[in-house]
Amino acid sequence: MRSRFALGAVAGLAAIGLALTGCSSSGGGSNPSSTAVDGKGRTLTVYTGVSGLYPQQQKEWFSELQAQFKKETGATLAFDTFASSNDELTKIQTSVVSGQGPDVYALGTTFTPTAYATGAFVKLTDADWAKVGGRDRFVPASLGMSGPDAKNQIAVPLAQRPFVMAYNKDLLKAAGIDKPATTWDDFASQAKKLTTGGTYGVAVGYADNYDPWKFIWAMSQQGGNPILDLKSNKARLDDPITQKAYETYFGWLTEQKAVDPAAVGWKNPQAVAAFAAGKAAYLPMVSASSMEALDSSAVAGKYAYALMPTVTPGKTSNPSGGKAAASIVSGDNLVVASYSKNQDLAFAYINMVTRADMQTKEFKLLGDLPSNAKAADDLQKSTPIIAPIVDAIGKSVATPFSGAWGDTQLALTNVVVQSIPNLSSGSVSSSQLSQLLKTAQSTAQGSLDKAKK
Amino acid sequence: MSTDTAAPAATARPPAEATPPRAGRAPRRGRRTVQQRNRPLWMLLPGGILMLLVIIVPFVFAIVISTLDLDMYTLRDWVSAPFIGLGNYIEAITSSSLLQSIWISVSFAVIAAVVTLPIGVAAALATQNAFRGRALVRSLFLVPYVLPGFVVGTFWHTMLQPHGIVDTVLGNLGIHTGLWLNGPLSYWTLIGVQIWSSWPFFYLLVLAGLQSVENEVHEAAALDGAGWWAKLRYVILPHLRGPIALALIISLLHNINGFTLPFVLFGVPAPADVNVLPVLTYVTSFQSFRFGLSAAMAVFSLILIAIPLFIYLKAVRLDTGDDRKEKTA
Repeated sequence: MRSRFALGAVAGLAAIGLALTGCSSSGGGSNPSSTAVDGKGRTLTVYTGVSGLYPQQQKEWFSELQAQFKKETGATLAFDTFASSNDELTKIQTSVVSGQGPDVYALGTTFTPTAYATGAFVKLTDADWAKVGGRDRFVPASLGMSGPDAKNQIAVPLAQRPFVMAYNKDLLKAAGIDKPATTWDDFASQAKKLTTGGTYGVAVGYADNYDPWKFIWAMSQQGGNPILDLKSNKARLDDPITQKAYETYFGWLTEQKAVDPAAVGWKNPQAVAAFAAGKAAYLPMVSASSMEALDSSAVAGKYAYALMPTVTPGKTSNPSGGKAAASIVSGDNLVVASYSKNQDLAFAYINMVTRADMQTKEFKLLGDLPSNAKAADDLQKSTPIIAPIVDAIGKSVATPFSGAWGDTQLALTNVVVQSIPNLSSGSVSSSQLSQLLKTAQSTAQGSLDKAKK
Repeated sequence: MSTDTAAPAATARPPAEATPPRAGRAPRRGRRTVQQRNRPLWMLLPGGILMLLVIIVPFVFAIVISTLDLDMYTLRDWVSAPFIGLGNYIEAITSSSLLQSIWISVSFAVIAAVVTLPIGVAAALATQNAFRGRALVRSLFLVPYVLPGFVVGTFWHTMLQPHGIVDTVLGNLGIHTGLWLNGPLSYWTLIGVQIWSSWPFFYLLVLAGLQSVENEVHEAAALDGAGWWAKLRYVILPHLRGPIALALIISLLHNINGFTLPFVLFGVPAPADVNVLPVLTYVTSFQSFRFGLSAAMAVFSLILIAIPLFIYLKAVRLDTGDDRKEKTA
């Protein structure tokens, strides 16, 4: 029934759209140039994800924000929450088609290019940036997912969630390794060395729906291949650099035998569980939220975070054109709906939540890492365990800002999904891999061709 | 649906109006015509409006959307999305995995339905006669059916993990199967789990059918000296033809439309062997944001399920209820 439901849903959206097209206007709202906004008697609605880890603290945070916002602007602040990315997507689609809904949305960074493509969110002018505290307020790398270029930005970075790797200090020490690897080649050889008896060098979720493309993207980016070359409008998934990335990623299991063979069926939480049980030395591609699980596990006090290797496989230093990407730029952005009649209030709200004091408070309550440069700097100095994670914020590189990226990351992940039977039986041959990459390439190129119009 | 009933009414009306009723059969016909003319058809209006809003309007919109190049770039102003005629349908057939997905969905649906049939019949027969603990057994049989698809998918996903419970148990018996949730075996995993969760549906319908068989029939068969096989083959099964046909068709429709189970079991992107049509439509719509293309795929799926539905409607003859009443009167 689901397909009929989907069909009905799309059609239903369309019906609402038809009824409400008359109401939608791209302008809307006044934009007073002064920073003080009088919001008496008005309500600003913010659409944001519900916190699975800290629901109670999030409620506290919401009430604090509401009180503060009332104090600063006189306006009422209302939160509308979503529990899953599906809910988020449905709401955005409905609002985009109907031209009404929340004023401010908190979006994941990888979804921001898609939101940009809809053209339904306010493009930030210099004056708008000034209203939210200026671009200088933020860690420069965190602005990477604000828009395709500095003149076309829709998103203000709110919270950062860069990816790093966790490592088991005891296991590394026992193997005579004094510091974690900084190149992927070292990582592979250390992983091999760390595999003994019941413990493996690496815990990785090959069957995860998101992780695989992040590895491939990072290694390709370091080797000088951005995967989507937006300047020449060319997809480069079939590039030898990317093929090498896949071979390295698969090689941890097939060549170095440093991964539990069961990992071909693992998603990220299972990899975290294996590391937490002390059965793996490295846990790459985790964010700060893993601390919650690790601190209450067998490895509490025995682990540390480090940047993932930033040198492309097969090399000791990156070639020219390669970027030392430690992570994708990841986290939450705030965007303002074009249809909103409360744009002045929306900017006042964004200004408030991205201030250093508020960002520090948010980190303490919810563990969201700041995008505010000052707050990030303070945090790095005051909390040593997460210093490498804060470091990763500045060393993150943005994924290509294009509506075609969604399809591209799906195609990159699909290569891993379809390789799993071969991976499980011990090897993924070059010919099988290039065949899969050819298909992925044509999907991504097709999507890029559509994006250009 | 309406052709059979409409035909006699249409032919009956003109003579009744043109000539005065004659003695014999004519007055009866005339009365019926007047009755028909005065039927309070307006009372169908609420149902009709509801049908229009819930079924016809969305369906027409889906058809319209399937002819538009509607994606994330045109969604905001969807009315002016470029009209591309059959472009989406052609793209769906030529450059997506639609045909492969249709093949997977249909073959999976047929195999799962056909295998489920004898299991359901056997279970219904086994619990037909009273025995100690029958109520408990009957309740236990329903457990797989009452579990939500999401739950079924989750626990089978957990059990079928590489080196999981199933692998361990089979390994102890010396059987090494390989991956259950990816590769060629995943297709049979989907069928197996679907059978596990849907056989009680057959069981329920067949049990209801069995209970409608009169005791006299059993007694007569016993008096004639029929053995259990003869009784089953010539007495019971003919009575069950209706419920079994109904269960088969509904099960087919349900399997072809099944989204939750494959989505939870295998995730997206789906392994090529289990990329069923509903999952493909979902990914096209909500991950690639190609709403026009996915609407075209949904129309294909509608046509696909319309075929068994049509056979079903013909088989149960819902459209000839009045005729049957007349025949029995």
